[in-house]
Amino acid sequence: MGGLARRVSYIKAFKHRSNIEVPTLLVDAGNLFTDDRYAADQLPAEVMTKNKWVVKGYGDFRHDAANISYVDLPYIAELLKKDGYSKRVEEYPFIERLVSANIQPMDDQHRAPVPYVVREITLKRGAAGEKLRVGIVGFSESKPAAIAGNSKQDVYAGFRINDPYESAKKILPELKKKSDFIIALAYMDVSSAQRLATENPDIDTIIGARQSNTMDEPQHFNRATIVYAYNQTKYLGELRIYVKGDRSIENQLNRYVALDSIIPDDQVATDLVTAAHTEFTNQQSETAQASSATTKPAALLEPAESPYIGEETCAGCHQKEAQIWDKTRHAHAMATLQKKNEQFDNECVRCHVVGYQRGGFQSLYTTPQFANVQCEECHGPGRQHASNPGKGYGFMATPVGCMQCHKEPNDPDFNFAVYWPKIKH
Amino acid sequence: MRRKISLLVIVVLAAAAAIIDYGCSRNGNLDDIDRDDSVSFDLNDPKIKERLGEDDGYAFAILYGADIHGSLETCG
Repeated sequence: MGGLARRVSYIKAFKHRSNIEVPTLLVDAGNLFTDDRYAADQLPAEVMTKNKWVVKGYGDFRHDAANISYVDLPYIAELLKKDGYSKRVEEYPFIERLVSANIQPMDDQHRAPVPYVVREITLKRGAAGEKLRVGIVGFSESKPAAIAGNSKQDVYAGFRINDPYESAKKILPELKKKSDFIIALAYMDVSSAQRLATENPDIDTIIGARQSNTMDEPQHFNRATIVYAYNQTKYLGELRIYVKGDRSIENQLNRYVALDSIIPDDQVATDLVTAAHTEFTNQQSETAQASSATTKPAALLEPAESPYIGEETCAGCHQKEAQIWDKTRHAHAMATLQKKNEQFDNECVRCHVVGYQRGGFQSLYTTPQFANVQCEECHGPGRQHASNPGKGYGFMATPVGCMQCHKEPNDPDFNFAVYWPKIKH
Repeated sequence: MRRKISLLVIVVLAAAAAIIDYGCSRNGNLDDIDRDDSVSFDLNDPKIKERLGEDDGYAFAILYGADIHGSLETCG
C-alpha cells in the first residue's frame, strides 16, 4: 500500500473528479527524509541519494509544503548549507517549501528554514471568485531520548529544536496578518497537538504526524480541527473544507483513502520512482560490497557473538519441519524482494530475513545464511538451544508474533486462520 | 483578394484561440494543475468512484501524508 505513484494518481483523479474547480493543497507533516545510519555528522551516500529523490519527487509533483521534523534534520543540514544554497534551490525549488517555526541552526554556516509559506487559492465554490490566503506553518517536537528515562534531545544534527508552543505564540500573529486560513503541520503526539490548538486560537487546522497507524476521528479544540497522517502515507489523508459565502469556514470533514492496488500507479511518478530506486540500489550494492571486505561475516563470529545459527543447523534435528518450511513463501522471502530489486532497502529487508539488527542478517554479502524468514525469526535465537537441546525453547505467541511483519499496512489481507495452515509444522 | 485571405486567416486563428480559451476556463484554476495532470484510467470505474467518494460541494481540499522516511515507495 502507499507509494508516490499511487498518491499522484489519486490526486490527479481527485482533481479531475471535480472538473478541476476545487483548489487542492498537498502537504506533508514531517519525517519525509531518512536519518538511517547517521553518524559523525554524516549520512551514508546511499541515504543521501534516497533523500535527494524525495526532494525532487515532492517538487515535481507539486507539494505545497512539508514540515521539518527532528528526523529530517541530518538531511536538512545538507540542504540548508549556505554554501551553494542558491544553486541547490535552483535545482530543487521545493527546498523553499520545507517549513519549521521552531528549528534553528546552531552555527552561521546554515540558513534557518522558512517558518511558513502562504498559498493563495481562488475559490469556485462557497465564496466563488474570492481569493483565500492559506498559511502553512511547521512545528516539531524534540528528538525522543534514545534510552528510556533520559530527557529529550533539543539539539540534533547541528540544529536546535525550540519549544514549539513558545515559537507558535511568536510566529502565528505574524502569519495571521498574511493569511485567511492557517494550517499547522505538527510532528508531535496528540496531546501536544491539542495543547498547540488550545493555546493558539488562530490555527484552523492541525495536521499531525508521529508514525501513527490508527485512523481516529478528527478532534476539535478552539476553532482548530486536528487530524493525523497515516504512517508512510499508506492511507492518504483528505480534508475537505466547506466555505460560506462570506468566506468563513463552515465545516471541515476528514477521510482517509487507502492507496491500495485499486489506485493505478501514475506512469510519470512511476518513472521517477524507478529512477530513484535504480540509483539507490546501485549505490547500496556498491556500499555493501565494499563493507563486506571490511566487515567480519556473522558466520565467522564466535558463538557468543551471534545468537543465531541458521536454518541448516536447525534442520539437522528438525528435518520434518525443515522440509515443510522449504515449501513455504517464508523460505523464499528474499527472492520476492530481489524480484523487485528491493534486497538492499533496509525498510523492506527487516521482514524478509532472520534476526535483522539483532545479531542475525546484515547484508546479502556478509550474512547470506540469514536471508529468508527462517525458523529463528519466529522461534527466537537458537544458539543456546542447539548447544543444550531441550524443551522450553521456541514458544511463539500467535497471531501477535506474526503481526510484527504481517501488520495491516504491510499485509492488509492477513488472516491467521487462512495463513497458518500454509506454514503449519 | 490577398487582404481577404489574411482577414480570413486572422478570423480562423481568433476563433481557434477562443475555443481553446473556453475549454481551459471551463476547467478553471489552471494554477493548481500541472501540464501532465491527465488521468489515464476510467474515473467512472465503480472501485475508483468508491475511493474518490461523493463530490459534496467542498470549496477546497488538503491532501496530506507523513512519515515516508525517505521512501517514495513502500515494500512488497
